Amino acid sequence: MTVREEPAPSPRTTPAPVSHALELRGIGKRFGVVTALADVDLTVACGEVHALVGENGAGKSTLMAIASGALAADQGRIVILGEELADASPDRARELGLAIVRQHPALLPDLTVAENMVLGVGFAASGVRGAVSWSREQLAPWGMEIDPRARVRDLPIEQWFVIEIAKALALRPKVLVLDEPTEHLSLDEVRLLFRRLREIVADGTAVVYISHRIPEVKEIADRITVLRDGRTRGVYDAATVSEDQVVELVVGRALETVFPPKGSVVGTVGSREQLVVEGLSGERFHDVSFSVRAGEVVGLAGVQGNGQAELLRAIAGLEPSRGTVFVDGRPVSRGSTAVARRAGVVHVPADRHEEGLFLPLSVADNVVAATLGRVSTAGLVRDRAVDARAEEQRAALGIKTPSVGTPVASLSGGNQQKVVMARTVLADPDVLLAEEPTQGVDAGARVDIYGILRSIADTGAAVVVLSSDGVELEGLCDRVLIVSRGHVVKELTGAEVTEEAIAHAALTATTVRARAESAPDRRSGWRRLAGGDHAPAAVLVGVMALLGLVVGAQNASYFSSFNVYNLLFMAAPLVLVGAAQHLVVLTGGIDLSVGPQMGLLVVVGSFWVVDGGNPAVGLLLMALTGLGIGLVNGVLVAVLGIDAVVATLAVFMALQGLYLTLREVPGGIVAEGLSTQVMARIGPLPVAILGAAVAALALEVALRRTRWGLALRATGSRREAAENIGVRTVRVQLGAYVLAGALTFAASVLLMAQIGIGDGRPGVGYTLSSITVVVLAGASVFGGRGSFVGVLAAGLLVQQLLSASPFLQLPQAWSYLLPGLVILAAAVLFGRLQHARKA
Amino acid sequence: MDTTTSTVRELGRRLLTAGPATIVIATALLFGLSPLVAPGSLGSAPLLSMLPFAAVLAIAAAGQTLVVQQRGLDLSVPGMLALGAVLCTALPQQHGWPLALAVVAGVLGPAAAGLVTGVLVTRFGVIPLIATLGLNAVLLGVVFAVADGTPAGAAPALNQFALERTLGVPNTVLVAVVIVGVVGLVVGRSTSGRRLTAVGVSPRAAEVIGIRVGRYQLLAYVSAGACYGVAGVLLAGYTKTPPLFLGDSYLLPTVAAVVLGGTALTGGVASVVASGVAALFLTQLGQLLRALGWSDSRQLIAQAAVLLVVVLARVVVPLAVEVWRRRAVDRAVAVPA
Repeated sequence: MTVREEPAPSPRTTPAPVSHALELRGIGKRFGVVTALADVDLTVACGEVHALVGENGAGKSTLMAIASGALAADQGRIVILGEELADASPDRARELGLAIVRQHPALLPDLTVAENMVLGVGFAASGVRGAVSWSREQLAPWGMEIDPRARVRDLPIEQWFVIEIAKALALRPKVLVLDEPTEHLSLDEVRLLFRRLREIVADGTAVVYISHRIPEVKEIADRITVLRDGRTRGVYDAATVSEDQVVELVVGRALETVFPPKGSVVGTVGSREQLVVEGLSGERFHDVSFSVRAGEVVGLAGVQGNGQAELLRAIAGLEPSRGTVFVDGRPVSRGSTAVARRAGVVHVPADRHEEGLFLPLSVADNVVAATLGRVSTAGLVRDRAVDARAEEQRAALGIKTPSVGTPVASLSGGNQQKVVMARTVLADPDVLLAEEPTQGVDAGARVDIYGILRSIADTGAAVVVLSSDGVELEGLCDRVLIVSRGHVVKELTGAEVTEEAIAHAALTATTVRARAESAPDRRSGWRRLAGGDHAPAAVLVGVMALLGLVVGAQNASYFSSFNVYNLLFMAAPLVLVGAAQHLVVLTGGIDLSVGPQMGLLVVVGSFWVVDGGNPAVGLLLMALTGLGIGLVNGVLVAVLGIDAVVATLAVFMALQGLYLTLREVPGGIVAEGLSTQVMARIGPLPVAILGAAVAALALEVALRRTRWGLALRATGSRREAAENIGVRTVRVQLGAYVLAGALTFAASVLLMAQIGIGDGRPGVGYTLSSITVVVLAGASVFGGRGSFVGVLAAGLLVQQLLSASPFLQLPQAWSYLLPGLVILAAAVLFGRLQHARKA
Repeated sequence: MDTTTSTVRELGRRLLTAGPATIVIATALLFGLSPLVAPGSLGSAPLLSMLPFAAVLAIAAAGQTLVVQQRGLDLSVPGMLALGAVLCTALPQQHGWPLALAVVAGVLGPAAAGLVTGVLVTRFGVIPLIATLGLNAVLLGVVFAVADGTPAGAAPALNQFALERTLGVPNTVLVAVVIVGVVGLVVGRSTSGRRLTAVGVSPRAAEVIGIRVGRYQLLAYVSAGACYGVAGVLLAGYTKTPPLFLGDSYLLPTVAAVVLGGTALTGGVASVVASGVAALFLTQLGQLLRALGWSDSRQLIAQAAVLLVVVLARVVVPLAVEVWRRRAVDRAVAVPA
């Protein structure tokens, strides 16, 4: 890819279109001391596709985040169809007619496709009720058979993009922003997308199209705005500029030769087979054999999702596999990165942030991370040696960083990747496996990285490069292997290695069933059931019946109406407090303070709810205290953003101190009148458990069928994404804590009637019990999923377990052991169930 | 912006937001203020009664730091301490074990429990919070079973060791200094420590560069267990007849010590020594409040308040610094060049 020496075309002055769909004027934005955007103008007319191009970090995504109301600008005006977007509000932007497809889809993995779609469009076309059929209609044109009832987490990444795009189109937007929509799409899907875009443009919609792929931009766009270093560098007619000119404008300078000379051309490829793969099979690739010689760079290509990434990761030891891999003639056992590393295999992962770097650590620490032995004496790391190594690499690779002590997180994408390369160079690889080595890297750094890869090969390493960029493979590789449906179907060598040949081979091999291998979601009905939200409840009911039979067989009085009543009554506060905990856990929080909170409420109540006292005042004060504590927890966690565990642990201790200060020793006999009322029964059943069950069922219905329920789960599933689509997560979580306080109040009234005296201590155990209930109910403790029916069943089961030990005549130690063992067993079991879902 | 002001500013930011320096200064200030608030509170008698508790807390906090570094939070501290204590007291008294063996059991028992947590977390994917919460209940059950429901007394030799001083320094403090020092050195400066940090920062990235992630996580949980064991044994020796569940009041303080020491709860970079200093700070603060006549229940409230204030400061101060900086930049921009 060399740029011809042509003068850059001068920006043309466009005649002002009659009506502007989107107008950005003088937008400025700073992050700390870094200026992301300075005085940026962008005008998009109705019925045009306007491309926004620029390197990574040029400010494209920031600009669109501002246009869509997800981010507030420091300066400037945003006008959508003549209406000014005064505050940064995604909801408002959507109302004005703007829809956005983000580079990272704003989807909530724990919600279903349909729920994501109706939430994403702000319930504009359908409520929660008709969501499934409405979503099916919207997805139909894409022909991918996406089940609206499927959980998004279970779907492959390309379907995420299709859902995101379908969501945006469903809004019938007047302005549609697409931020790198085609990174993960196949050629067919790109065609389909472009056809849809042309249709809506013909209807007068304005499209802002952000992409790295200049040929695509040239194909679809009417006009092109170039952004560089946070400033607009001109607006061009797509028809009048060539691809190379666009590239030059984007980079801001003429590019010399991008790729280093190939080893097979200059003769640096050795004859020794450094990497030999024989009959390697894994979950998504089968019986793969190939070899790479020392000094050779071999590319892996193919339509995304055909198993090439898994193949590479299996050789690196990250994925399980069968078969043999030889490095330098010696077999390397499978399935461990440590073993692979010792054999000389070094892996550069595609996901730099998650797998490539230790973001909060310094540049120096990252550079030496894989070779600590060489900068230490007697097991102790010498900081000076670390810095010296890092300085060497910084100079050699041209890493732009204020100092080697700077956290690597603050570097640009290209420089971060150079840090990964520096670490790789130091590790002296015999085999280097590079996965998308230049993804998200700007053009300047890209050239340097090609040079580094080639120079590592020149030192005698076998290099395997996986890339979805045909140009890159053509320029860099001595040989290219095409992977389709988990097999190597073609090998291109020497002059055959061209972008066209690679694309042709990849596509002709896969046209029959392009996505054949990428549909692992066809699981059996059983699997689906096991992974569902209600599966735990069914399991729990089974366990309960079994336990009842076992204990009942040992001791007949177990089924006496007295005992059944007692068991059910005592289960009621557990169900309520479990529901409280569950609410908070659904939003991604936790409340360790529920136990002492119950204790405090009982103590507070015991000053008024006594014979001769005023029970109404007591109950009112209890309720207010409960809500107040919920509010405090909510403010600490949701508003101030303190870690939920720490905040509620501190509140736990403070409440304990508080009730002990109020009543050092138990006191205040609870009025009999209240006790009798609370313990009322209907037939053999206590009213309390009926009430708790009704509360649980009502919450369950609300969770599934209301917008509030969706927002609650959205917040816990992926907070950032939820915020992007306009869910007010702070408010939702705060509300969950307050509602939890109310439920805890109800539970503590029951507890008070049960123990009959003002004492805080019996409440403390409810913290453990409530979390046991939530875990048993099968909720993801990371938030976002679970069911209140499960909470009801779990509350009953936990109480059954707690009260079983006297009937079984177990020693007293079991009153501690049992709850602990149950929660651990549940965590292990349901952890397994949820893993089954992913497999 | 000239370099001296920016250096000073950077220093100020560091002091306020994180890093071990903050807690050292805070502790020095606290000790400086103590005699002014409560005269005589720095006399040798109050100091000698405070230091053993600080020592126990410092060792337990070292364990908690190791767990927090691996993105966990150890709620099994009460059970762990109680297990260490009950093994070294009840085994000799009720089961006739020799003291030395019982002390070893008191350390290895909790270490084994740590292994269980580690296996639950690394092999079964249970989140640390749940694993340690459940394990705590199990440990309390074990403690109850071992002691048969009644507290046992510490053997005289153990009691004596915990009370004695070497060269004027309480033995408990010496043990704490050695343990915190060694763990701190290993975590902070050794290659294993750097790998522990790497795993704490990002298990996936650590695996990519060939670190055996599971093993390092197990190492962290087992070492933490051993720390709790030592703390439990020392506490049992010092209190002579330890109550069965003597660890209950240590859970929050260990978390507070870790947070005060500047270790982020998100894992990764951790300072064991800073947690140790924070343990000293918290214990002295308690001593001071007691001297002022605060009851134990009110002390709980005070501890909670200190913890909340510190985590709040960690959230609010960087925000304030950011706002202040922006203003400074705005001013700089506003001045015509």
